[in-house]
Amino acid sequence: MINYLIAIFTFVLIYAMLALGLNLQWGFTGLVNLGHVGFFAIGAYTSALLAKAGVPFALSLAVAILLAGFAGTLLAMTTLRLKEDFLAIVTLGFSEILRLFLLNESWLTGGANGIIDIPRPIRRLIGQHYYEIFYLLMLAAVLLLVFLFLERLRLSPYGRMLRAIREDEIVAATAGKNVFRSKVQVFTLGASLAGLAGVFYAHYLSYIAPEMFVPLVSINVWVALIAGGSGNNKGAILGAFVLMGFLESTRFVKDFIPMLSGFRLAAVREILVGLSLILIMIYKQEGVLPEEKILS
Amino acid sequence: MKNNGNGVTRRESLKIIGGAAGLMTMGLPINLGAQEPIRLGTLCPLTGAGGPYGPQMQQAIAAVVKELNDAGGIWGHPVQLFNEDSQTNPEAAVRAVHKLIDVNKVIAVMGTWASAVTMAVAPICFNNRVVEFSVSGADAISDLKDDDYIWRTQPNTFLQGEFHAKFALQKGWKRIAYMAVQTPYAKSFGDTYKKVAEAGGAKILEYLIYEADKPSYRSELTKVLATKPEHIMLMGYTPDSIAIFKELYKMGYKGGIQGPSFAINQKLVDGVGAEVAEGAYSLDPASDLQSPAFKNLTRLLGAQDVNSYAAQTYDHINLVTLSLAEGKVNTGTGIRDNLRKVANPPGTEVSGFMEGYKLIKEGKKINYQGASGACDFDDKGDILSRPFSFSQVKGGKLVVIGGIKG
Amino acid sequence: MAEYYFQYIVNGIISGGILALPAIAFSLLYGILRFANFAIGTYLTAGAFIAYAANVTLGLPIYAAFLVTMVVSGFLGVGVDQLAFRPMRKRRPLTLAIVSIAVSFILENMARFIWGNEHKSYNIPVLRGMEWGGIRIGKEQILILFIALAFMILIQALLRFTRMGKAMRAVADNAMLASVKGIDSEQVILRTSYIGAALAGTAGMMVGIDTTIDPLMGFKFVLSIFASAILGGIGSATTAVGGAFFVGLAEEVSMIWLPATYKSAIGFGMIVLVLLFRPQGLFGRNR
Repeated sequence: MINYLIAIFTFVLIYAMLALGLNLQWGFTGLVNLGHVGFFAIGAYTSALLAKAGVPFALSLAVAILLAGFAGTLLAMTTLRLKEDFLAIVTLGFSEILRLFLLNESWLTGGANGIIDIPRPIRRLIGQHYYEIFYLLMLAAVLLLVFLFLERLRLSPYGRMLRAIREDEIVAATAGKNVFRSKVQVFTLGASLAGLAGVFYAHYLSYIAPEMFVPLVSINVWVALIAGGSGNNKGAILGAFVLMGFLESTRFVKDFIPMLSGFRLAAVREILVGLSLILIMIYKQEGVLPEEKILS
Repeated sequence: MKNNGNGVTRRESLKIIGGAAGLMTMGLPINLGAQEPIRLGTLCPLTGAGGPYGPQMQQAIAAVVKELNDAGGIWGHPVQLFNEDSQTNPEAAVRAVHKLIDVNKVIAVMGTWASAVTMAVAPICFNNRVVEFSVSGADAISDLKDDDYIWRTQPNTFLQGEFHAKFALQKGWKRIAYMAVQTPYAKSFGDTYKKVAEAGGAKILEYLIYEADKPSYRSELTKVLATKPEHIMLMGYTPDSIAIFKELYKMGYKGGIQGPSFAINQKLVDGVGAEVAEGAYSLDPASDLQSPAFKNLTRLLGAQDVNSYAAQTYDHINLVTLSLAEGKVNTGTGIRDNLRKVANPPGTEVSGFMEGYKLIKEGKKINYQGASGACDFDDKGDILSRPFSFSQVKGGKLVVIGGIKG
Repeated sequence: MAEYYFQYIVNGIISGGILALPAIAFSLLYGILRFANFAIGTYLTAGAFIAYAANVTLGLPIYAAFLVTMVVSGFLGVGVDQLAFRPMRKRRPLTLAIVSIAVSFILENMARFIWGNEHKSYNIPVLRGMEWGGIRIGKEQILILFIALAFMILIQALLRFTRMGKAMRAVADNAMLASVKGIDSEQVILRTSYIGAALAGTAGMMVGIDTTIDPLMGFKFVLSIFASAILGGIGSATTAVGGAFFVGLAEEVSMIWLPATYKSAIGFGMIVLVLLFRPQGLFGRNR
């Protein structure tokens, strides 16, 4: 049981990292990113390919984060000026085109086969028996650092400026703040965090394939943000736990409901997730998606 | 621990009650006086892309387990089956396999379908000394450093490509087009097929890999038909194959089509109609339709149309239980160490657990011949060969027209 | 040689015809409700399954199933609107878009629960296609084009000549002004939801005739539907058709040069380009 929980918690923390990144983008730039999985994929693939080529973990991690961040910069610069639901579609397009690239350009990425035997950092030192818990603790430590950093950021002058931009862009702009540049910066940071999550994902599973980086993952991260409520960093982490609860919910239940066959049970689970999402959206007036001030 | 006077300690009684409770939730009869149950796991694709195949794959395993439990289990131990849905999603499958191994403590995981799923759960299985049986086709699986814990009953693509090509040459086709859905083996299969076919004098006029799950393939087919092939090698899954068959018919294509049995099967024939499917060739590297094992499986499943993956999972469970019986063990390592003894020749050929178990109890050496083929394994855990049966669609039904014993 | 290229154009027109109805539906819904309704794909799926239930389960002949689909699909749209979107009328487009994603999950899985994952077909024979001067086209596909054309004309007539149509256009143009003039926007919404889902459902049945029926079928179209509506100029039902044919042609004709494995990139690529450089769409006017 313990090992199962360790595995689940590892996934939760990875999703928490993703949610923190998305929350940064959403919370401070109001940018609706439905393509978050794209940055996740860039982080995962970059680190995996470099590590398999013999690059030490610290370096492959750094490059992966930079590359993911860079992709974020590009995406932000091209799309920040779009209307919000169109923006969503464009970001979705970005992640899907990336996935097709990963799938088709097998000379680089291994294509549909994916990448196997991704080395786990300092595996030989730790040995097999304690490795899972070591990895979880390492991930938890990194997540904690990220969380503390984001909280410091939020309370810093920079953070106050970002909040001013979110509250009222026009006022902030007239006060001389470069709104656009700040938004791009924050978006880049959020993308880098997703890349960081991707690195941990790839090295944990030792195997990645394009089919693991589908839009559903982006949507799941959104579900985490929405379910965690309040749109702040703590909410993002809480949301990751709630999301995993959703995803694992039927696993133990079904041993007691043998009458529902596998696919039916999965269908019921998905329906319940969808219903929960709708109910949260209907009844949570405040929180994650506060209603915009309508200016025009 | 209090000994309550009749020789059964509290711990043992709890185990018995727990085992009985476990059995009760499975709906199986309680074997009073049973010892530690044998825990086995299935990780079939009940949803997702493999959804059409998964339920029957799991059913085949459950049917064998029920039969053997009704007869008293393995050396008196009942088999407890734990089922999880891989969702044809590697991440979900990883979480599922952790539950199977860490919570349910299974010693074998059977029925992984998608190559990505098989490869994602493999490290967890072999690190925990649990055997994994898959029906996946990707070549990379043979190369996993798995200490012999990972096995599969699906022949790798080199074998498949070679046989499909030889079939085409045998039929005398010279102008062939290759179409495949984007999978880990689309290219390796196609390259082998092309190499063998062209060495035999045929020409591959078009080599097209297409995206899965598209609503139409009109233009892909336009490209293929422009080369005027007399025959098409279609390496797809059932859904896209159905769309392609229909479209080819509408486009007036009158040439031959050849494909694997997991795509060209009765469901496809029913889906496109007898006339559209007429004449198509289905090559079956993964079901030995004439074998006693296949007939036994058909009996257990109630004679529904048996898909080729269910034939393989039937073999998975038989191999696992026979290995356990042979070695009198209850561990994954034990299964691994005894597998070739029951699967490879020499030995009396058997086609199911009940038959094999009887002989094992008499001390005889058996050679399991499965529903998906001879089930003889090489040192990588791949099957050595398999029989091929060639079927053709005639009058709305698949009719076996020939075969090669592998 | 020319007919080789012309075949791709014909393929594109067929694809465009299939996309036209859901594109109109999407644009209509967007115009009135002002958000991207991701559930449009599942209305398509639902229509295909309703037709399946009528034709295969109940044994009705295919044209009767067609009528049943048209009528019943519309009610699905109304139901979804009243249950999921109505409580959110005043909310921002993003919220509604997310809710529509949740709705599409629910509908897709309801279909899966009832009918399972396997691909199904109607009880109709597949017909040999026709060939004119080297160009191949299927008989069902011609039928689909006719039906699409008929509906396009009907919708145009509805919008232009009926009172309801005028009301719909008024609300799409300026909801506040429309209510000042006494138009009941809730009525308009109900009717638009009905029509939108009915159109998408009908398209679903046609797709089912052309290929197969399964819970994921609509999802495969969502991208192309969005692209069609956006290219056509979102919110305008008339130009959505232009967008649909453009997308259909682009997807099929690009197969001449592009590897088939990048087909999806076309739809996305076009969306990105249009939104970045000409957000009002190729045919839309500046809003």
